[in-house]
Amino acid sequence: MRLPNRTYKAISLTTLSVSIVAWILLLYNPSHVLGVVHCHVSDAGPSRASVEMLLLMNPISSLLCGWCLMVVAMMLPKLLMPVCFIYSKALKRRRQIMALLFILGYLFAWALMGIPIVAIMLGSSLTLPGSFVPALVVATIALVWQFSPVKQYCMNKGHEHPYLPAFGWPSFRDTFLFGLKHGIWCIGSGWALMIFPMLLPDGHHLAMIFVTFVMVTEHLEHPQTPRWRFQLHGRLMRMLSAQTQIRIKQLRTILATDLNPLSNKRIFKDGIS
Amino acid sequence: MQSRKFNDLTSWWFFAAIHAQTMFDNDDPTQPLPLGYPNWKSLPGPPAIPTTDMPTADVMKEYWDQCQHGTWFFPPWHRGYLYAFENVMRDVINNLPGGPADWTLPYWNYFGPGNQFKMPPAFAQLNMPDGSPNPLYVKARFGPPGGHGNVFIHVGPTSINQECQRNTVYTGGNDSGTSGDYGGGVTGFVNFDQHPLFGDLESNPHNGVHNLVGGQFPNGDDAIMANPQLASLDPIFYLHHCNIDRMWAAWNKAGNKNPVDPKWLNGPTAHGDRKFVMPNPDSTAWNYTPSMVNDTSQLNYTYAELDLGVTFAALSKNKLRLRNLGLLLDDEKDVKEMAEPNRETELVGATSKPLVVDATGLQTNVKLDYKGWGAVAESLQSASLVNLPDEVYLLVEGIKGNRDSIICTVSVNNIDAGHLYLFGLTMASKKNGHHGGAGLTIKLNITKIIDQLHLENAIATNTLDVKILPANIIAKGSELTIDRIGIYRVTTAE
Repeated sequence: MRLPNRTYKAISLTTLSVSIVAWILLLYNPSHVLGVVHCHVSDAGPSRASVEMLLLMNPISSLLCGWCLMVVAMMLPKLLMPVCFIYSKALKRRRQIMALLFILGYLFAWALMGIPIVAIMLGSSLTLPGSFVPALVVATIALVWQFSPVKQYCMNKGHEHPYLPAFGWPSFRDTFLFGLKHGIWCIGSGWALMIFPMLLPDGHHLAMIFVTFVMVTEHLEHPQTPRWRFQLHGRLMRMLSAQTQIRIKQLRTILATDLNPLSNKRIFKDGIS
Repeated sequence: MQSRKFNDLTSWWFFAAIHAQTMFDNDDPTQPLPLGYPNWKSLPGPPAIPTTDMPTADVMKEYWDQCQHGTWFFPPWHRGYLYAFENVMRDVINNLPGGPADWTLPYWNYFGPGNQFKMPPAFAQLNMPDGSPNPLYVKARFGPPGGHGNVFIHVGPTSINQECQRNTVYTGGNDSGTSGDYGGGVTGFVNFDQHPLFGDLESNPHNGVHNLVGGQFPNGDDAIMANPQLASLDPIFYLHHCNIDRMWAAWNKAGNKNPVDPKWLNGPTAHGDRKFVMPNPDSTAWNYTPSMVNDTSQLNYTYAELDLGVTFAALSKNKLRLRNLGLLLDDEKDVKEMAEPNRETELVGATSKPLVVDATGLQTNVKLDYKGWGAVAESLQSASLVNLPDEVYLLVEGIKGNRDSIICTVSVNNIDAGHLYLFGLTMASKKNGHHGGAGLTIKLNITKIIDQLHLENAIATNTLDVKILPANIIAKGSELTIDRIGIYRVTTAE
């Protein structure tokens, strides 16, 4: 059973709105929650004092907050399909709470992942402050991971949408667990890509937009047999290109009809009859 | 065509692989699949499938494994496939001495009068009159359960029927997509992919006829027609699909419209997916979209019979239902026909854990939601000419298994609700492949049963008793698993 169009549109609008708000906050970057901006390392290298100073200038809570905001901004659009699936398969009065539990489970997985990622971020700031080297190393790992069978396996698992129990406590529990598992597979697929912008001393936002594009694109691909394969996921680009061509064609037809006085007359005549 | 080499784009074998095949990984044709059943190289002949002279991986990638199932592209993709196949066949026949220039593919109308429910006898003969092998004969074609090898179609209200022809909407033109869904759900390039929900034309008769014609090997393995990755090796495939194409043409002739959505008209490339492509008789490529096969006249052919196949009573579907419920005494009175866009779907009952169907079948109680089911009962209680009662559907969700040929009967409170024809089950159940392993979901309209329960004052209940019984072999290791059985109401309330 499919979801009514208006429900689908409402879910899309809500999801994208929250994501956009998160993006605005990130771009505005209040209190510099994204990335380590203050590096205090002596010439002798990292010391207890420099760690303390770094944590003072970049509280972990603030960094984790920034991380979670980043996850919401980048990942929420990817949850559209599973949320719609939950909506169409749940009792009407439970739809919203189940969708929320799924999202919470998903974000919980990524929030936990934030702890090691923030640690890596702080570590790289201490050892190689202001350097692009850590980001380049992670980018190389991400590139290798991108073509690995493990990544493909995780992406395949991310396509699994289980039928959830409809009644009682199990429906809430299993929905949260579905979100958690979905988050774990998503982490398995995109962990390296997500660390990359965090390690950049500059250009976080551009990198985040790029990573979001890559992750949404690969999410749209069909599951495949996991194996090493060099391939670039281009479905989003193909889709956007095809949709643009269709829209242009439609526009041309409309304009041709509107500008043609004979066709106007024909429409008018049909309307009368 | 059967005498041509595999790598000849106009060979029988190449055309069969365009539909689907089991020799190479359909995501990566450089990877051969293991030998043994159901690999084409291990199937018992006839037909004797060549195992050498394979096309290049690039050619395979462009042409093979295109068939569309569980999607709104099911009717147009198969129309283009038949058209290309017929062109090649006609080219071959025209080059034979005395071959008729106007040769066309025949169709098998199993709904026709007399003994047309039986497979045309030419397909059952091992040899031609001159003693040479009959190219229409296929060894692995066993027919329906209990048919003792005779191939025929069970035609009836809860078996194979033309009820889909009563639909008026191609693809859930209503915003719930639950009823009147003739051609399939809105998707990209799909072949039993994640959570496919068949259009009614595909579900019945298409899937059912595949299963009944093919049947099973004595050990329960799928015969050729019963598995979409093997089916187009059997010549009867093309006659069956011509009939499905004829039904679609008849449905259009009756005034029903195909989608006008550019995403349908432009084919799966509008979704960023593969294009539809077929070989011409000269082996050049013919790229097509649904907009090019929207009407048979675009391809310059028609069918001898284009009647809808079902006799519409003078009364509309809703009027008939209200009369059966004792609410319409004067047929001339107007009934408020609810516009499709005002219909909504809601889950009102479900089983709580995964189920298994083995050789002994399955009996389970589907728990009903007091609120949702109460609304169904209330809609029946308060039904009137301006207030139509809900429709009720049973969905067997996430069916997984490894034998497509399994056929099951389904009953609700001991009333026959229809069949599960599991054509495509194996492909839909494979994890780590294109299909995602979501299994099949099959929809049965049980509104009549619920109306009957209402009339018997038996609707006020907390559960529905659902029985699923296999009609043929479920061998050990081939049991079906079902994620959930769901009951949905489709409300006509604004």
